[in-house]
Amino acid sequence: MRHYEIVFMVHPSQSEQVSSMTKRYKDMIENGGGKIHRLEDWGRRQLAYPINKIHKAHYVLMNIECDGNILQELTNSFKFNDAVIRELVLHKDRAITEPSPMATSNKESQPREEVFKEPAPTKAQEIVAEPEAVVDAVAVTEPEAESQSETDQ
Amino acid sequence: MFRSYRFKKFPAMTDENVSKLNYMNPDFLKMFLMESGRIIPTRVSKVPQKHQRKLTRAIKLARYLALLPYTD
Repeated sequence: MRHYEIVFMVHPSQSEQVSSMTKRYKDMIENGGGKIHRLEDWGRRQLAYPINKIHKAHYVLMNIECDGNILQELTNSFKFNDAVIRELVLHKDRAITEPSPMATSNKESQPREEVFKEPAPTKAQEIVAEPEAVVDAVAVTEPEAESQSETDQ
Repeated sequence: MFRSYRFKKFPAMTDENVSKLNYMNPDFLKMFLMESGRIIPTRVSKVPQKHQRKLTRAIKLARYLALLPYTD
């Protein structure tokens, strides 16, 4: 049993079938006695350069532990699946379970949306806080006004 | 000095940044590419040779997956 990291890119027109495809590969691995340590769907991404006149692709990342036979089976099925544009298989020396930078960067973008939803309560707090601030501002401005008038005289 | 105006600064190879030398971090790796898509040489960026090896491998993997351009 060895650890592998697999990234495969799916044709954007087959994007809806990604979940069924990953399920099929998952079954393939688990039936062969392998394990899946990490399974991530990066979603549809813009490509840095067109591949076969395609400008977008759906990315899936898998970290698995399996035998060579199962890996052979997997890569074979990638080869004969027209929806898979490209695949990358890397050997790893340990099981990687922590979320990848790609997944965490996507998660960071989600809280930003939440921040956009929040403004209402923060505004209310500001309003509550304002009167004191206004009073302070008045207190600060008045002496200045006096000093200005003094200087004017 | 004159040199600091000529070259833009590159991220220092701190432990945190070394852990980012992964093909899944295209935005970070992009800092070590020229506008044309070429990898900036160690001679210019002053990245330690040890990390430059990691960097080139990461960039080349990211290029294969179309996360970074070969040329631009």
